Amino acid sequence: MTEMWVNMGPQHPMTHGLWNLRVRIEGEIIKDVEPEMGYLHRGIEKISEDRHYNEIITLMDRTCYVAGLSWEHLFIVAAEQALHVTPPERAEYIRVMSAELQRIASHLMWYSAFVQDLGLMTPFLYGMRDRDLILDLFQSYTGGRLTYEYMRVGGVRSDLPLGFTQRCRQVVDWLMDRFVEYDQLCLSSTIFHERCDGLGVLLEPEAVAYGVTGPMLRSAGSRRDLRKDRPYSVYDQVQFDVATATTADVTGRYLVRMEEMRQSVRIVRQCLDWLDDHPGPVMADHLPRWLGAPYAPMGNESYLLKRNYPTGVGLSMIEEPHGEAGAYVVNDGGEHPYRVKFRSPVLINIWAAKRYLPGYRVADIPPIMGSVDVCVGECDR
Amino acid sequence: MSATPEESPGREEKPFLWVTRPLATAAKQFVKSLWRPSTVVYPFERLEDPKFRGEVAVASGKPIGVGEIWDNYRGVHALNINTCISCNLCAFSCPDVCIEMVTVPGGDPKHPKKCPQIDYGKCSFCGFCSDACPEGCLSMTTRYELSVHKREEMVYSPARMFEVYKSKLPMNPIRVERPANEDQILLDPPICIGCNACSRDCPTQCITMLDIAKPTAKPGEKLPKRIWKEPVINDSDCVRCGTCISVCPKDCLFWGTRQ
Amino acid sequence: MSNVSLYSVAYTLSSVLLGALAHLFPAPIHGWLISGTVVTALAAVIFAAILLLASMLNTILLIWYERKLLGRFMDRRGAMHVGYAGLLQNFADGLKLFRKDTVRPGQADPLGFWLSPTAYMVTSLVIFGLLPISTGWNGGSLPLTLLLALVIFSFAPLFIFLGAWASNNKYSLIGGMRSAAQMIAYEVPILLAVVAVVVLAGTFDLNTIVLEQRNYWFWAPLFLALIVFLTGMLAEMERIPFDLPEAEAELVEGWNTEYGGMLFAFFMLADYLRALVGSILVVLLFLGGWTLPSYVPAALTSFPLAGIVWFMVKTYLVFGLFVWVRASLPRIRTDQLLRLGWMRMVPLALLSVLLAALVVLSHCLPLIGCVPSMGG
Repeated sequence: MTEMWVNMGPQHPMTHGLWNLRVRIEGEIIKDVEPEMGYLHRGIEKISEDRHYNEIITLMDRTCYVAGLSWEHLFIVAAEQALHVTPPERAEYIRVMSAELQRIASHLMWYSAFVQDLGLMTPFLYGMRDRDLILDLFQSYTGGRLTYEYMRVGGVRSDLPLGFTQRCRQVVDWLMDRFVEYDQLCLSSTIFHERCDGLGVLLEPEAVAYGVTGPMLRSAGSRRDLRKDRPYSVYDQVQFDVATATTADVTGRYLVRMEEMRQSVRIVRQCLDWLDDHPGPVMADHLPRWLGAPYAPMGNESYLLKRNYPTGVGLSMIEEPHGEAGAYVVNDGGEHPYRVKFRSPVLINIWAAKRYLPGYRVADIPPIMGSVDVCVGECDR
Repeated sequence: MSATPEESPGREEKPFLWVTRPLATAAKQFVKSLWRPSTVVYPFERLEDPKFRGEVAVASGKPIGVGEIWDNYRGVHALNINTCISCNLCAFSCPDVCIEMVTVPGGDPKHPKKCPQIDYGKCSFCGFCSDACPEGCLSMTTRYELSVHKREEMVYSPARMFEVYKSKLPMNPIRVERPANEDQILLDPPICIGCNACSRDCPTQCITMLDIAKPTAKPGEKLPKRIWKEPVINDSDCVRCGTCISVCPKDCLFWGTRQ
Repeated sequence: MSNVSLYSVAYTLSSVLLGALAHLFPAPIHGWLISGTVVTALAAVIFAAILLLASMLNTILLIWYERKLLGRFMDRRGAMHVGYAGLLQNFADGLKLFRKDTVRPGQADPLGFWLSPTAYMVTSLVIFGLLPISTGWNGGSLPLTLLLALVIFSFAPLFIFLGAWASNNKYSLIGGMRSAAQMIAYEVPILLAVVAVVVLAGTFDLNTIVLEQRNYWFWAPLFLALIVFLTGMLAEMERIPFDLPEAEAELVEGWNTEYGGMLFAFFMLADYLRALVGSILVVLLFLGGWTLPSYVPAALTSFPLAGIVWFMVKTYLVFGLFVWVRASLPRIRTDQLLRLGWMRMVPLALLSVLLAALVVLSHCLPLIGCVPSMGG
């Protein structure tokens, strides 16, 4: 058969979102690929320039619709840096706990989609069923199941409800048992290893050169994890290990994500213990009126001049479930940020497909791209 | 294009007997869910049903439901028209600009009573409006079924939200933590003309106009033409809605901290 | 066991119908209507209609069965609202598909596009007619029924490839190619496994093969062949560990990407019909067909149509096995399937042929007979 280009996307079961992978194939062998992104571009960075800091939170949930709280965390860290606001410690612990629960939920979503790409429907339903428990937890303290709108500049929206910590412990205990089941369905199956071992290899130097981060990088043996290397919030006060693998292939990424979920459970448990022992406020003491939770007409320009709020620049880098995300917020003293910029790990991870896809077969595309954990929302922003 | 030879830690769990383990796992789940799968049969059962509220463990051993804390859900708004003070805060805080203040019966002709009307076609259920509501009259309920046949039906008038309120759904009990030491409304005295607009429109009637001494004009100096009154804001009653700021014709009110 | 055969039922029906009809007409037509030729012809039509009805009903029931079973494997419920426990759901789905417009892509080849679903369906139906459900309940007993059934069974990849090529779609094309490649992988082991059965039974006639299992079911001496045959059947039916031609993750729907409406329904029905036929073959060749072990109380085997009932129970259990596999294994790749077929299954099948030959040669049937005594 001669070579031909096949469009895998934008409407394709493999893509998990709205992007296009153009593949040049010869028979079943991939010769070249060309990822095309941008179908889901909503201009979130530009819209952010016209919104109050807290209102941007509502956009963050929609930037990455499987890891909303992680992206809220990302933006909030940068915004607080730019606005010179320090949140109380309890709020930081709640944020870290939320981010870790969100990491589990995101990885469960990844697990479901990834294994379904291999043709196995059962783990998809197991994963979604168990993710629902975490969404229930989120609902109980944020009020939302997908778009949480929970974090605020200077703290979080509300404290945890009564009985939350106990229920959360139940859920993570139950999840720990389920992780074993997941491994039984995948790792203990010869077919899984046949399909995943040695696929999509991206070795560490290449990964670093491409800017690939997150589980993809750690599966190549790197120990780079921003929660350890550049701790934000209270990550320097919780104990956890960085999950790594050495095979740099699809199986390696599977192992890294599975181990990360276990480590996340560990972090969540530590946070719950701390939160039980340290009641307190979850919102900063003094916030300027225009940063507080409810907004009101600001009045006139003379007020803006009189206010004389210090300007600042905030830069946050966060280990998001998909990789390293970054936010850059410029505060020019106005009520809206002057400029907001996000760095999406998924964009880079997809783009490196030019390196890690060619040479494999068409049937290998779903597992390899599935192991990247594509979230188009944050990729296109 | 080959994997590195090193074995990762998880590789120790190499499959034995090829595919028997996944088969056994699936069979285990099959037996567990024979009696009752964890599906919540939605239109007939709901997660907020009492039977899912407690520590429910179904046959597959899964705790489903969110327990007693379902009420925090952010669903359709309930509006208590009687306690609404027309402060406009909900409309201002809405990031989607889906709240419009419409006139409802009950106000006096000069000072009509306005209540929020929400277009659920635009609403993103972020909850900022109910967070902003100083009187707690606009809050979110656990109702989440919003399907309608026409687009116009997506717009909930205050009366319709009052119906929701009267249906006694569980209300979102979350009260947002507000900064303890909030900004206040301050006055820039030299600019004020004493026009009474702020006092007239204040939803909580916390602004009183007090007489100030009319200074005696020095020869050659022209006194500003104004009413010799000045607003005094009762800070404990103020809900910080900013209505006074927006109605002030001279922009002499502003946010700030009293030194 | 009852001695009613399907053909006798059809013949009786036909003669009764024609006899009633003949009363309405004067003598020459009356005589012609009740003549043997006409009655036989109508009997054949009724016979075919009964088979068609039975196969379609069973197929649809099979889809329902799979949905329910798969649901429980996945901790959910499956279809449950249309009819009792969702029994009518598939009729509703079928009705919807049949009402839909059939769209042919502009660049597709009309003949191949229309022909392949029809031929796929027809060949599957023909096999169903060939297989004996119980004594006498089949379309006819040829000396080489088994061989004929397997030959027709393996036509399918050709039609799949034809449809894939004709629909002028890159995904379909890749799917069709995979289907052809897959056929090379599984046909040889399947035939070798069947050879083992034939060696043991000494005939290609399915009726006789079942009767030969009256002492012991063939799965016991031919366990390896059963494994090979089951695996090969999974590939033959294109069910999940081996459904590479329609791997929906990378090829959307594989070779039937461009098919919609009724044509898709044809493919879907034929797929499940083939699954049914595959399960029936397993039951016939390895699990004693419609017979039951002798220690089963006679009350369970003597009611009318007991043979058919037990046969269907076994068939559905075998199909449940396929569903179980589908619920727990991921899909493998074409090259891996080829490797599995040639390097694992062919040697195993050859070994089982050898075993069968040894069993026959050593006349150790009484000896073996005590091992599978659980099977009769």
